[in-house]
Amino acid sequence: MDFSFPKEYQLFRRMARDFCQNVVKPRAKAIDRDHTVPHDVIREAAKLGLLGVPFPQKYGGMGAGETGYCILAEELGRVCSSTATVIGAHIGIAAMAIHLDGTEEQKQKYLVPLAQGTAIGSFGLTEAQAGSDAAAIKTTAVRDGDHYVLNGAKVFITNGDIAEIMTVMAVTDPSLGAYGGITAFIVETDTPGFSIGTLENKMGIRGSSTAETVFEDVRVPKENVLGGFGAGFLTFMKTLDVGRASLGAATLGGAQAAMEASIKWAKAREQFGVPIATKQSVHFMIADMAVEIEALRSLIYRTAWLIDTGQPHILEAAACKLFGSETAHRCIDRAMQVHGALGYSRDYEIERGWRDQRITEIYEGTNEIQRLVVAANLFRPHGVRISS
Amino acid sequence: MRIIVPIKQILDPDGLTFRRDKERMFINREEYIIGPGSKAAVEAALRLKGEGDEGSGEPGRTVVALSMGEARADDALREALAMGCDAAYLLSDSAFAYADLSVTTRVLAEAVARLGGADLIVTGRESGDTGAGQIGPRLAQALGYAQVTDVCALVAGEDGIEATRRWGEGYATVKAPLPAVVTVAPEAFEPRLPHGARIMSAYREWDVPVWDADALELGEAALAPLLTKRRESFPPPLEVGEVFRGDPETVAEDVVAALRQQKIIGQAGG
Repeated sequence: MDFSFPKEYQLFRRMARDFCQNVVKPRAKAIDRDHTVPHDVIREAAKLGLLGVPFPQKYGGMGAGETGYCILAEELGRVCSSTATVIGAHIGIAAMAIHLDGTEEQKQKYLVPLAQGTAIGSFGLTEAQAGSDAAAIKTTAVRDGDHYVLNGAKVFITNGDIAEIMTVMAVTDPSLGAYGGITAFIVETDTPGFSIGTLENKMGIRGSSTAETVFEDVRVPKENVLGGFGAGFLTFMKTLDVGRASLGAATLGGAQAAMEASIKWAKAREQFGVPIATKQSVHFMIADMAVEIEALRSLIYRTAWLIDTGQPHILEAAACKLFGSETAHRCIDRAMQVHGALGYSRDYEIERGWRDQRITEIYEGTNEIQRLVVAANLFRPHGVRISS
Repeated sequence: MRIIVPIKQILDPDGLTFRRDKERMFINREEYIIGPGSKAAVEAALRLKGEGDEGSGEPGRTVVALSMGEARADDALREALAMGCDAAYLLSDSAFAYADLSVTTRVLAEAVARLGGADLIVTGRESGDTGAGQIGPRLAQALGYAQVTDVCALVAGEDGIEATRRWGEGYATVKAPLPAVVTVAPEAFEPRLPHGARIMSAYREWDVPVWDADALELGEAALAPLLTKRRESFPPPLEVGEVFRGDPETVAEDVVAALRQQKIIGQAGG
């Protein structure tokens, strides 16, 4: 067993950290305050190949697999959850679906610009009445000659208003249900009939955009069916399985940053004539953070290794998202306690981290759904089928 | 045009603590990096090649990185490849362990010759650890090339270079014929980050050949240093100026008064 990162990953982490500290971090506070996507930062990331980290070089990617992508997500998560979300939705779900199930032609046409960052991607699953219950979607796609005509609306779509390319799940045969009746499509968002609805005014990750996207007779060529016809639910679930590992990696970065800030502040803050770093109550909080972070780091990179080596990873990836988001919750909450009133102030990073963290327990499958995924994988061999 | 960049790998100074009282350097985190002068040299060379935002170069130019050092200097060369260099060679042999500046110069000059010579050699003004600042000038002497040191802006044509260097209180722009050696001021060439895909290729696809003493045809006599290191010591402590103590208002008034007395700042209202 060798737990060390190969040298290319060590150099990549140094590059990613340099980029995050010097380009991403200085913009984090302002984009949260102004509720704007940092397009300039995203363009700089694209120039360094960071928008295609896990994808093969022959499709314009970096060729660093899930391990490389988790390194990027961790480093982004340390400094700016908003930027991590914009890039995460682009790579981890939008482009990932095409990487996993796209045809060679689709990869050349769509994965290459996504990986190179000349186009931004979004992933369209959630609808007003269908989130955790993904199979309950109402958006329809009806065949008309060489095209499918899409009608419906997707909500809470990260990058929805800035994406050029969107992967969309729609019902093609209502009588067949999730397996057989749902198909995935690649939609170019400049197609007539596509429009942006409500933009969400969120509590956290305010430097990322979350939009409603509306489809009114949007004509999509039949070549843009992604994965098998009627197999869209599988394509989307498979994509989310992989995406969960990198989501966990971003929460790892957030938790680590919260711990480091707590140590720094505990050394500087004096009460009763001594730094609070000398107080056992503070030691215990920071020790608990460190232990959970260490466990999370092992889980994340082992899961990335499972994915990169083509091994089963559904349970582990759900665990990354579940344990990562809840670890980050506890760590940022303890960090606020260590920082006291200062941590509660809008002027400091702890408050932003606290708001940014909360969504990680909700998006891309709530933590309740992750628990179901874990349980389903444990009970299936015993002949017990768990459905939500 | 072939541009050769000799680089040096150094211990990351951020991982070191210096204890003057014990006359010792402690290594808290042993991590090796490309020295800042060397990294600026790679950047300056790559700009001549015409890559990156600030490139003013032309096609057909190649940049080759060289490093003399232990096996681990392979990492520095792969980072240089990831930044955009076209090829890299590691000059490494246990017989180089006691090299002084004269031996290092000989090894580098021999490697340059083996590559068929250079049109331009770009290197750091000084290394990030020993800071001798001699390799550039010594290399120019050994190879019979022109030299310009401490350069902060550089343009290269087919028959010569135009380089701007610090000159007293200002700057001077000088011309030199090719081949030439240029040493660059680290602060003048902010190094680019390596491209992600090049990082992967640098380790997974590209070779960094190792040239040892035999490959460079350097015998025992050529590798005998003129100098041997007997011991290391710290420079004497810097003389600190006057220390002002007291409450903030008084200290501020005293500092202002002292600065006025030294005529560093003017009188109030004047």
